[in-house]
Amino acid sequence: MFRRRLPEWFVLLLPAILVIAAVVLIPLLFSLYSSFTPYRLTRPSSLWRWVGTANYERILTDAKFWSAFGRTVLFLTIVLNLELVFGLGIALLVNKVTWGQRTLRTVLMFPMMFSPILVGFQFKFIFNDNVGLVNNVLQSTGISDAALPWLVDEKLAMFSIMFAEIWMSTSVFAILILAGLFAMPRDPLEAAKVDGCTAFQTFRHITLPFLMPFIFIAMTIRSLDVARAYDIVQIMTGGGPARRTELLWTLMARTGYVDARMGLANAMGYVSILLSIVFTVYFFRKLSAARAELGMGG
Amino acid sequence: MTEVTLSNVVKKYGRHQAVHGIDLAIADGEFVVLVGPSGCGKSTTLRMIAGLEAITGGEVSIGGRVVNDLPPRERNISMVFQNYALYPHMTVAENLGFSLKIAKRPEAEIERSVAEAAAILGLDELMERKPAELSGGQRQRVAMGRAIVRQPDVFLFDEPLSNLDAKLRTQMRVEIKKLHQKVGNTIIYVTHDQVEAMTLADRIVLMRDGYIVQVGTPLDLFNQPVDTFVATFIGSPPMNLLAGEVSAPDRITLGEGLAVPVPASARGGLRVGQKVQFGFRADNLMPVGHAVEEAGQKAQLRLTVTLTEPLGTETLLFTEIAGTEVQAKMLNPRPVTPGETFDFELMLDKCHIFDAASGNAIRS
Amino acid sequence: MDRNLAHRNRRRALKVAHFLTLFVVMSIICIPGLWIVLNSFRPTVEIMAKPPVWTPSFTLEHYRAMFGGAGEGGVPVFSYFRNSLIVSVVSTAIAILIGMSGGYAFARYRFRGKAGWFVGLMLFRAVPGVALSLPLFIVFARLGIIDTHFGLILAYVAMNVPFTIWLTDGFFRQIPKELHEAAEIDGCTRWQAFWKVEFPVARSGIASAAIFAFLTSWNEFALASQLTRSVGSKTMPVGLLDFTAEFTINWGGMCALAVLMIVPALILTFIVQKHLIAGLTFGGVKG
Repeated sequence: MFRRRLPEWFVLLLPAILVIAAVVLIPLLFSLYSSFTPYRLTRPSSLWRWVGTANYERILTDAKFWSAFGRTVLFLTIVLNLELVFGLGIALLVNKVTWGQRTLRTVLMFPMMFSPILVGFQFKFIFNDNVGLVNNVLQSTGISDAALPWLVDEKLAMFSIMFAEIWMSTSVFAILILAGLFAMPRDPLEAAKVDGCTAFQTFRHITLPFLMPFIFIAMTIRSLDVARAYDIVQIMTGGGPARRTELLWTLMARTGYVDARMGLANAMGYVSILLSIVFTVYFFRKLSAARAELGMGG
Repeated sequence: MTEVTLSNVVKKYGRHQAVHGIDLAIADGEFVVLVGPSGCGKSTTLRMIAGLEAITGGEVSIGGRVVNDLPPRERNISMVFQNYALYPHMTVAENLGFSLKIAKRPEAEIERSVAEAAAILGLDELMERKPAELSGGQRQRVAMGRAIVRQPDVFLFDEPLSNLDAKLRTQMRVEIKKLHQKVGNTIIYVTHDQVEAMTLADRIVLMRDGYIVQVGTPLDLFNQPVDTFVATFIGSPPMNLLAGEVSAPDRITLGEGLAVPVPASARGGLRVGQKVQFGFRADNLMPVGHAVEEAGQKAQLRLTVTLTEPLGTETLLFTEIAGTEVQAKMLNPRPVTPGETFDFELMLDKCHIFDAASGNAIRS
Repeated sequence: MDRNLAHRNRRRALKVAHFLTLFVVMSIICIPGLWIVLNSFRPTVEIMAKPPVWTPSFTLEHYRAMFGGAGEGGVPVFSYFRNSLIVSVVSTAIAILIGMSGGYAFARYRFRGKAGWFVGLMLFRAVPGVALSLPLFIVFARLGIIDTHFGLILAYVAMNVPFTIWLTDGFFRQIPKELHEAAEIDGCTRWQAFWKVEFPVARSGIASAAIFAFLTSWNEFALASQLTRSVGSKTMPVGLLDFTAEFTINWGGMCALAVLMIVPALILTFIVQKHLIAGLTFGGVKG
């Protein structure tokens, strides 16, 4: 019995490969091409004019692009780190709870399931300078006389956006780290206690190394959709006012859909794709390394 | 007639060769145990018979029919796995009847076969439970029941007892043997435990590094090991081996001033100057007065005991011959303190001589 | 004895601190959502009131308007709900079938470059929705499937497949391969062994992967906002923007729609939480 067919694993993967190729890969190749043209939606013929790297040169010398890019990287760095720290903290807190832990865990998962657009809207409402909960509380309690311009002032607006982002995504970390804590073997912890480790030493030398793979899974999952922040920013401030909260993604959307300059927007798109891929690959590597260290590979 | 024949069966994983051209003929109704240390290719061989591993070369036939390329379902075999592989989403009854249901047998027949198997294995009380609600021994029984229901030509067992604790293992061993006496099918059984192999097998196939080392009845392997590997693998405690040299046609020197006569069985196969391994079991080295009264050629040795392991009906004595630790046995034991010296007698007729270089037994 | 007492007091203090911190954290997590729910039942006048009114009154005006067809400035909530449901359900069903097949390949077969294939597929998931929406918009416009359920479903299938593979791979790997082998020996074909043994055993895991995919589609905005235009295809996240006019926002109406979006999500989350965590961590940790 000879089998001159494709290997079974490949046949099983084929539908996934086909649909991703059709819906993601081919459009991306197209956008790669169009990033070398001055393509505008309003002038279809411009798609056939090759301008080389002009678009890239243009965005690389564009101060607006660089400030959006820098803000995006800064935003991601702050947000991911804080999410990790808060997530770790919350996981440790919940892990200590003896009663009603399941309920807390479920509650913890809810923000994860909120639509980003909904999170954006929710905090747009809460941080609204006129009718928002925050200002209402501040003013009613007399902490602040005037309404704070949460979504207008540059620093406050970035803060509000980050708050929304952290509110939404911290639970990814908390939930996965908590799963790690549950999976943790008891013996090393007890051995450490008997050996005279303080609570902090135990955490630092036993718990944390064991949690690392779980932290990196969370990081990897998160890095897969860092761009969800677009939804939040889009609805909370739209990148404004006056580009004070402009991130790479909002700038791209504006260039493409409002200004209709698709070629240029696609060039930015490639920069943002690269950014996401760098983040994802980085954490995937960390994940494999952490796994190998704990002997969990296989 | 369901004999199983392997001829020159080879398994390769890429460049690594796991099984090197095995030949084996298993008779109808025979209980054959494949035994060997881990990585010896015994499980791979079993899985090739089952159809779970592709056969790289050679031929496997079941009941005279070459099955090399048949999927497992067309080989009419059943298998008990090490981790039981019970279907966790089905009850015990559903697990037992699954193969018949797949074969689209009538409902009534399934029920009857399942009930029969359940009766044989004492599972009647557990029929509505899920595997997760069973103890290890019960799961083991269900796994066996599932194998019986199918009424296969051949039963395959892949280390079925290794996940059980020692007491249960002995008990299930007996049940498996009883099962074989009751149903009489051909059984091929894989284990790494020589005691299981000895107690269960009609014939043992001892494997190492993808080769068959020796095939024979348990007593064949125990009494006539073909090489030092078999000698030390089969039997507990393992056979004592002492390095020696043939110093005269009828003498073997084991060390400083210690020489023994060559056992009759090996005389003629030796040449002077040959390096050998001199082997004997603990049962054949006993203190005078605590030994089996048996005629035959004996050698007297005065040895000091270093450690004892009382087992009740007998005591294992650890001592040294020419700097090598050996184990001896004491029947009708009395308390022994380490450091005590005894006169031992060595039953020379029961000793084995192996070539030091190849490890092969030397028999004339 | 003194040292014992000191330790006991310290433990008590820690306990109180632990409880308080936990309370604050949980409040921060819960209040924003509850605030939305609360406001969906408050009359607009009260939401807009300056100074704020703290004793809430109860009204169903926003819900009545929402379900009353073209109330509230004519936001066709029913259509949006229906679109969301159709697109999410269909895309999930397709994505789970494709993902299951891919996940099974990763879980059960050894092949060259497996890790590379896996990371490669995941990277496609990492492409930001906005960045993808630009070329998809152009391509779909050419193909004439912009502003259709079909187009959006296609996009969501592609978006969900990588993560579904990640999850199902994890679930299938938790099933010992001997189950499959036992089924084959019991007379099943590979296909039967999968559907009669492996699939039912992994069922709850697969269900949670499906729900995760469903929620991703249900919540998605970046692609939907560009690929849908009209009432016939717009989903709820996009519809939410209908409440925003140039300078005014209908907060109450938005809150009511938000509740309509959250409720199914919360119910589904509640159902799958346990398996979802297991799937995410198993696939990731055991490599």
